[in-house]
Amino acid sequence: MTKKSLCNEEDFNEFYKTNIQFVTNFSSYKSNDKDTALDLIQEAFLKMWEKCSEISYEKAKSYLFTSVNNLFLNKLKHEKIVLNYAKNSPYLDINNQSPEYLLEEEEFKNKLKNAIENLTEAEREVFLMNRIDGKKYREIAELLNISQKAVEKRMSSALKKLRSKIELL
Amino acid sequence: MKDEQYILKWLNGEISDEELSLLKQDKNFKNLEKIAHYSSHIETPKVDIEKAFKEFELKKATTKKSKVVTLNYKNFYKYAAAVIVLLVSSYFLLFNNSVNFSTQYAETKTFNLPDESEVILNANSNVSFNKKDWKNSRDIQLKGEAFFKVKKGKSFTVNTSVGKVTVLGTQFNVKERKNYFEVKTYEGLVSVNYNNSLIKLAKGKIFKVINGKIDTLNTFNINNKSWLQDESNFKSTPLQFVLDDLQNQYGYVIKTKDVNLEQLYTGGFTHKDINVALQAVTIPLQLSYKIEEKRITIYKNGQ
Repeated sequence: MTKKSLCNEEDFNEFYKTNIQFVTNFSSYKSNDKDTALDLIQEAFLKMWEKCSEISYEKAKSYLFTSVNNLFLNKLKHEKIVLNYAKNSPYLDINNQSPEYLLEEEEFKNKLKNAIENLTEAEREVFLMNRIDGKKYREIAELLNISQKAVEKRMSSALKKLRSKIELL
Repeated sequence: MKDEQYILKWLNGEISDEELSLLKQDKNFKNLEKIAHYSSHIETPKVDIEKAFKEFELKKATTKKSKVVTLNYKNFYKYAAAVIVLLVSSYFLLFNNSVNFSTQYAETKTFNLPDESEVILNANSNVSFNKKDWKNSRDIQLKGEAFFKVKKGKSFTVNTSVGKVTVLGTQFNVKERKNYFEVKTYEGLVSVNYNNSLIKLAKGKIFKVINGKIDTLNTFNINNKSWLQDESNFKSTPLQFVLDDLQNQYGYVIKTKDVNLEQLYTGGFTHKDINVALQAVTIPLQLSYKIEEKRITIYKNGQ
């Protein structure tokens, strides 16, 4: 069996298609500027294609996130992030349709959203990669080039902030 | 503190049932559940993967990998060659200012150049020049024979494969045939650049090169404009070139049998009647001829 390589066009295309959505999600945790983000992501992929021989396939994902991170640092304005819920997202208790319950949940969602928006970028990206993309701490650690302990720390501090903000009200 | 470990495990999907039941005793677990649940419903920009990929491919194509270029020089040259061919051909298609005139056998043509200089093109000849550049350089390419009546102005150059003829304003004749090059000056002064040497030809002078040798004979009858008056005139010219001219003027194929083509001929022939012309050439040299359709055979008398 031949090893996968980024220099192989087929392997590269597969790598692109399996990761483009994930890395776009990642960028949306950091910035609201979708168009610039997509440009930067394309640029990151392009650089990887150009340097394909220097990047092992196993490390490719981590390389991708690192370069997107770096490109974002330099090129994107760090404005306050604005998040939205997906339309038709189900409530936790789908059987409870009482108006009081629905109102209560909407209020909760709103508070949660604001709280997440106010997390630090480091906390938010780890927290949302776990929640939205369903990534394990170990995987997140690899992608961000940090230790798993650091990921857990960020998760904890994020949770602490979210809980205190919600329970305060 | 213990709870915190459980919570992290729970969010990472690694909690055991036992630990989970402990966690659920926390009075705030309901809120935690909601946080975990609703935070996963935050919207992310949906990528149209195929569309993004197509754009990416386009970007990739425009920034060609340097490595690919070095490895595939053949391909690179192929593309470069294609681009050059495209550019050159489009240049000629779109900006073609070159004008071309040519004549067939037994045909002459008179036309004016952009500055009203006059060219009379003899049979089986071709001239071309650049219309756009004409104001800057009066440069003309000639194959065959032509008479030029040049308006005064900047230098006027006739380029042939053999030599270059440059004038300011005059009348002259240039003839370039196989192994034959001739310039006659009818008016003014003509300079001929032949083999890197410059020869000035005054009115009534002729410059002639036969088989690469410059002919010593250097005058001609200025009143005799020969082919312009529908006749060809020769002065001590090898028969070969006389017959070549006959072919050009009439469009016949001429063959010879036991005839010395080096012998010199002085005289002329008309362009109007093939029989009269042939007689004018053959009789003084004691030759005979016969015509079969478009073929002429010339042979020695008495054969």
